[in-house]
Amino acid sequence: MAATGRDAHVQAPSATADREIAIDRVIPAPRELVFAAFTEVRHLSRWWGPEGFTTTTQAFAFQVGGVWEFTMHGPDGTDYPEWITWTEITPPERIVLRHGESRDDPDAFTSVLTFTPDGVATRIEMVTVFPTRELRDVAVERYHAVEGGRQTLANLAAYVTETRGIGAGD
Amino acid sequence: MARAATTSDVFNAIAEPQRRQILTLLRAGERPVTEVARELGTTQPGASKHLRVLREVGLVRDRREGRQRLYRLDARGLRPLHEWTGGFERFWNESFDRLDAYVQDLEQTRREG
Repeated sequence: MAATGRDAHVQAPSATADREIAIDRVIPAPRELVFAAFTEVRHLSRWWGPEGFTTTTQAFAFQVGGVWEFTMHGPDGTDYPEWITWTEITPPERIVLRHGESRDDPDAFTSVLTFTPDGVATRIEMVTVFPTRELRDVAVERYHAVEGGRQTLANLAAYVTETRGIGAGD
Repeated sequence: MARAATTSDVFNAIAEPQRRQILTLLRAGERPVTEVARELGTTQPGASKHLRVLREVGLVRDRREGRQRLYRLDARGLRPLHEWTGGFERFWNESFDRLDAYVQDLEQTRREG
């Protein structure tokens, strides 16, 4: 897996620094438009998730206390239940959400998204705070000595799920 | 997907070569334990033990059919693996790539509209 040159960095120390992941991105479009792409399911479903993933929405209400319940479908046919609720919405500059597998997921985490104008573009900063450092460490992508082993695991995962429809939602 | 796995048990489960062999075998379809044991060249209790481990981490499902118990792959158990090999940051970097393209399309549409 090649480094992208825009990998996340952990921000200046804060009380939760050891359980955070921070990701920045500049999108060459006006802030209102970038923000809008986060507010409607017809937009979200077009870009949410890595290449090859699709979403099916069961419920969606973009408001504080509202919920987005959906299923992500991986390219290998794996289904992932997802649940998001918004705890703060300040158009067009800030969104705070909780993200887990379901309403009562003890491992749900909080993401704070801020949108700031950057010339004619928009800078998105996303800081995600995990409940524990362990959960953060599982989530974060680490490049270290296990790279070889990871590759093997990734290949195995791809290999055993190659068969179409395996384990898909029955 | 964009979340941390709660357990790494699946990693321990597939660290064992014979259990990886079982997953590969079950890819082709359901098998009773007798066939799994034969394919692996192991005893039936040995195969049962492996299948139980795989079932506990959600990689294998079983169902009863007559007097037999049939085992099959449940790929959803690979979720922690996908997350670990993919990772949270990759998820979001790729999502933001798609957001970038999508927002540019929106802007294009607006200009023309």
